[in-house]
Amino acid sequence: MSVITLAIPSKGRLMEASAGLLEKAGFTIDRLGADRGYRGVLRGLEGVEIAFLPASEIAQNLRDGKVDLGVTGQDLLSEKIAPDDKAVQLLVRLGFGPADVVVAVPECWLDVATMADLDEIAGSFYERHGRRLRVATKYHNLTRRFFAGKGVTGYRIVESLGATEGAPAAGIAEIIVDITTTGSTLAANALKILDDGVILKSCAVLAGRSGKVMDRRAVRLIEVLSAFT
Amino acid sequence: MAGKSSAELSSLERQNTALMAVFERAGFDHIAPDIIQPADIFLERSGEDIRARTFVFTDPSGAEMCLRPDLTVPACRYHLSHAENPAAERRYCYLGPAFRFPDELLSPQEFTQAGLEWFGAPEPIAAEARVLKLAISALEAAGLSRYRVSFGDLGLFSALLGDTEMPERWRQRLRHHFWRPHAFRELLDSFCAGRGAKRTSVSPIVDRAAAGDALAVVEAEIEARKLPLVGGRDLPEIAARLANKAADRQETPLERAKADTLNAYLAIAGEASAIDAQFAVIAGGSRFKGARDDYAKRLFEMEELGLNPRRFHFAAGFGRELEYYTGFTFQIEADTPHGPVAVAGGGRYDNLLSDMGSPMRVPAVGCAIHTDRLKAVLA
Repeated sequence: MSVITLAIPSKGRLMEASAGLLEKAGFTIDRLGADRGYRGVLRGLEGVEIAFLPASEIAQNLRDGKVDLGVTGQDLLSEKIAPDDKAVQLLVRLGFGPADVVVAVPECWLDVATMADLDEIAGSFYERHGRRLRVATKYHNLTRRFFAGKGVTGYRIVESLGATEGAPAAGIAEIIVDITTTGSTLAANALKILDDGVILKSCAVLAGRSGKVMDRRAVRLIEVLSAFT
Repeated sequence: MAGKSSAELSSLERQNTALMAVFERAGFDHIAPDIIQPADIFLERSGEDIRARTFVFTDPSGAEMCLRPDLTVPACRYHLSHAENPAAERRYCYLGPAFRFPDELLSPQEFTQAGLEWFGAPEPIAAEARVLKLAISALEAAGLSRYRVSFGDLGLFSALLGDTEMPERWRQRLRHHFWRPHAFRELLDSFCAGRGAKRTSVSPIVDRAAAGDALAVVEAEIEARKLPLVGGRDLPEIAARLANKAADRQETPLERAKADTLNAYLAIAGEASAIDAQFAVIAGGSRFKGARDDYAKRLFEMEELGLNPRRFHFAAGFGRELEYYTGFTFQIEADTPHGPVAVAGGGRYDNLLSDMGSPMRVPAVGCAIHTDRLKAVLA
């Protein structure tokens, strides 16, 4: 019988929480080979292989069909999988790892509260400074989709893979789109979230390839994990 | 289909030679703008949305480049790098590939565009009629006989807005939203509702700005909260916008009748040569009257060129999705058994060259033909 592969984040808080949740649900993960191996099997549910992958790569691996199921952040999933892409489905919101993807602007912009304000200043910024407003983010697709939905077009995306909240102070960008849990990092960098600037209320999710979600092992996992979240 | 066969290629080339012969005979200089363009020009001009349609990549030096999504901007770049005086009259035509991500209509991702651009034409209205005539002549030379022509005129709308009494900053915002009919209507409604504007997290400081000097309020707040000045906007810029927000509160709301007039204008559609009867019932002022005269003059020029505007369709809202146009815009659709297929479009875009760095404003009008679609229609 063929096995199905469940991808789990290879390190960090998401890995621990995923393993913890599976254990609570009555499964244990046996890592294969050396202690730090990147493959494993799930005890308690036959025919499920575990692949430990960086959280940021799990969505892409699902899309490419390299794994069948995966635990990852909803932010990372939404960033990689377009809403009309039926190849990968969100199956269970697991609840841990809560965080919001937000649009934040400098606090000193005392006249800016909403995306509509941003749209308005985008035009005058261009006229006054001869360039577009820049948005620092690693969430290119989420940003583009959300801004387009709000009718905001006059901006540029600047790639930012770390310490995004520092981009406005560093003069690399004016605005950021980033993930935040308590908002304290934003506040420490004198940034504020727009009133209607929450793009996504994210948490860890179980996602799966559409072709595999009816597999009985997948169905069982969905059932058990839903009950524990 | 992973490419064209030799028969398909030579038949497309024959068709395109016929199109270009019309443009060249009319005195348009056949140029070949670069295929690979700096992405910056497209991104700065149209914003981030363009990435959703354009192949953008990074060259080894780290500069962002793109495969041109159309030939208008590349032709403008060619013009700015070749012409000593950008505002002097120049006529160009071109034929070459353009690239876009396939959209939901499954347009091909690479296609061949034929087109022309006319910069600095001394008689703008006559030039508009002439460009339409050339597009039609080229399509007919390629063998298209059944087609429909629709056009719009953003000049009429700008004129009507200019005649409508309201603060200039409201007009600017309406113009900005013209491209998004839903947002436009909401904004117009909010001007009519007056004080009904929704409270937001900046409303308290708007209240304070309304009661005093906005710049002093901003300076005091920044000082009191020890806010670092990041984000590139200076205090006067922030204060000016707060003052505008405060002024909006005290502004007399826009009369409903005036908003209705703008909406009524935007709903106008019908046979192009009879449309003035519908303009006549719109309560515009002198600017609108001037734009109506221009419209009539354009119809006259079309007739002079042997076109029959009784066959053309006018819609006031036409061109609302095409952000570069500033005046006359048109589209030509082939009639096919499966319905109309857009094969050509064009219009006036007077701001593009100055947006791209021309030191002076350069009036510009042009058109482009989607040659692969035309070929498919004629097959």
